Amino acid sequence: MKTPREILMVDDNPADIDLTTEVLARSKADFHVNAVNDGVEAISFLRRQGKYANAPLPDLVVLDLNLPRKNGCEVLSSIKTDPALAKIPVVIFTTSQASNDITRSYNLGANCYLRKPGNLPEFIAVVQSMAQLWLSFASLPQREKR
Amino acid sequence: MAQSRRRSGRARIRAERSFSGGWDRHVRSQLTFGSDIRVSDLAADSLAEREFELSPGQTEPDGTISRHSSDQNGNPQCKLKLRALLVEDEPADVELALRALRDTGLEATADVAQTGDEFAELVRKNSYDVILADYKLPGWNGMESVEILRREGLDIPIILVSGALGELTAVECIKQGAADYVLKDHLARLPESVRRAMREKKLRQDHKRSQEELARSNQELEQFAYVASHDLQEPLRMVATYTQLLAERYQGKLDSDADKYIHYAVDGALRMQKLVQDLLAFSRVGRQGMALESTDCNTVLEVALSNLKVAIQESGAVIRHGLLPVVMADVSQLVQVFQNLIGNAIKFRGSQPTLIQVNAEATAKEWIFSVRDNGIGIAPQQTENVFVIFRRLHTRAEYPGNGIGLSICKKIVEQHGGRIWVTSEPGCGSNFQFTLPIKATIQHR
Repeated sequence: MKTPREILMVDDNPADIDLTTEVLARSKADFHVNAVNDGVEAISFLRRQGKYANAPLPDLVVLDLNLPRKNGCEVLSSIKTDPALAKIPVVIFTTSQASNDITRSYNLGANCYLRKPGNLPEFIAVVQSMAQLWLSFASLPQREKR
Repeated sequence: MAQSRRRSGRARIRAERSFSGGWDRHVRSQLTFGSDIRVSDLAADSLAEREFELSPGQTEPDGTISRHSSDQNGNPQCKLKLRALLVEDEPADVELALRALRDTGLEATADVAQTGDEFAELVRKNSYDVILADYKLPGWNGMESVEILRREGLDIPIILVSGALGELTAVECIKQGAADYVLKDHLARLPESVRRAMREKKLRQDHKRSQEELARSNQELEQFAYVASHDLQEPLRMVATYTQLLAERYQGKLDSDADKYIHYAVDGALRMQKLVQDLLAFSRVGRQGMALESTDCNTVLEVALSNLKVAIQESGAVIRHGLLPVVMADVSQLVQVFQNLIGNAIKFRGSQPTLIQVNAEATAKEWIFSVRDNGIGIAPQQTENVFVIFRRLHTRAEYPGNGIGLSICKKIVEQHGGRIWVTSEPGCGSNFQFTLPIKATIQHR
């Protein structure tokens, strides 16, 4: 049996996590959404620290910028400067349209920057396209066993 | 009363003694002819900054209250202290002028300037309530002091106190900025002239203050609109997406009332979202600086039309345009102006096929752009209202919208140094026109 694609969603808004999970559940592919609510948790999850000792290595990180404790840019920077994590695609998924947020994210190694749409049809379209592109169409490096 | 009379008596003696001591040219400009020594100590404290209220009794700095003095006719006059600068070479005339003031309760301390350099130095060093200037002085004339004040950025009323000048010269002096002109033969007019000049100065200052206050509160309001609309977006996004999710999942599974209620909630959330976005766009104009560049309006129109592609196709509107000029403008703002105007022309179309004409013509100073349609038009009494934010002339059921579009156009055009207006014949169409300067003179905020 094929293992599900693991997505780590880092967002402090449970409504966005639920909605994203709901939209991904509709697609035919098998996704598993792991959600954490702040930047420190995200890093613990990725480094399998503490309660995340058995966490899977995600195939995709969906990262909000405005996060408590450790903000999105810091998380992004930690991922992209860690050889064990750097190749995981990171999609920034945020309400910010500020051009300096966009530039900074790409400079730090973000693979894609998406704005959270304000209405359901667009939200569905964006989340489905994101999952399809990064988890079906894109060729990604071989996953390391862990 | 007795105290005040005694004090003014002493003052007169002091002033006379000063003159009897002779007129040495060197010390002249530094001499203070004080009617009361304490007054001169105070003189730097500009009168205009204190409340210029002609109250019957004024509290002195030492806590005593000075009562009315009386003029020759026994009329009570309000006692006021002021610091004057006299541009005068005749000591006798200086004394006459001061006496004329004192007779009506204006206690003036005065410095005297005889040359332009002395004058400039004194106005730089001290603050004066009023300047009394003779017109003809050896080597310069009193009107040159107007120029010096302007250069120093000082607002001090100048009253010309002079022999007969002739009407033309007098009018010219007033035009150049003198507050008044008093003949030396009619010094009785001087006190009222001084009082009026100071009242006017106070009004000018009050006006300036309220202008500044208005600008500041406008800026605060814009800041508020920006922050509010920005922060409203996030919770609104939740309401909009989740009511839509409710609709999607439960439409037809509850009862018809539930369907209707969900529809209201979704519709309300989406409208509010549009409102917040437009409000944000409105408050951005002016908040963000303009990126002025040489802008081809033909390209601007093309972009606007491509943004309106769906509306144009659905309405079947035909848009014709002449050759448009290149202007100095912020491209994205100008696109917004064209887009809002043409979008409105489509939205408020009539029953016949929609025809919209975009043109520009040059006058000596500005380009006049016009967006003319054959739509439903606007009642004449409403042609100003349409530019007021949130002002709508139709119900939402007739025409959707939130009444922000044209107010954005107005803000953008005015920020570019232009004007916008509309002429219309109800039932026949509207012609929205706006100007942009040919030489970009931008109104800085």
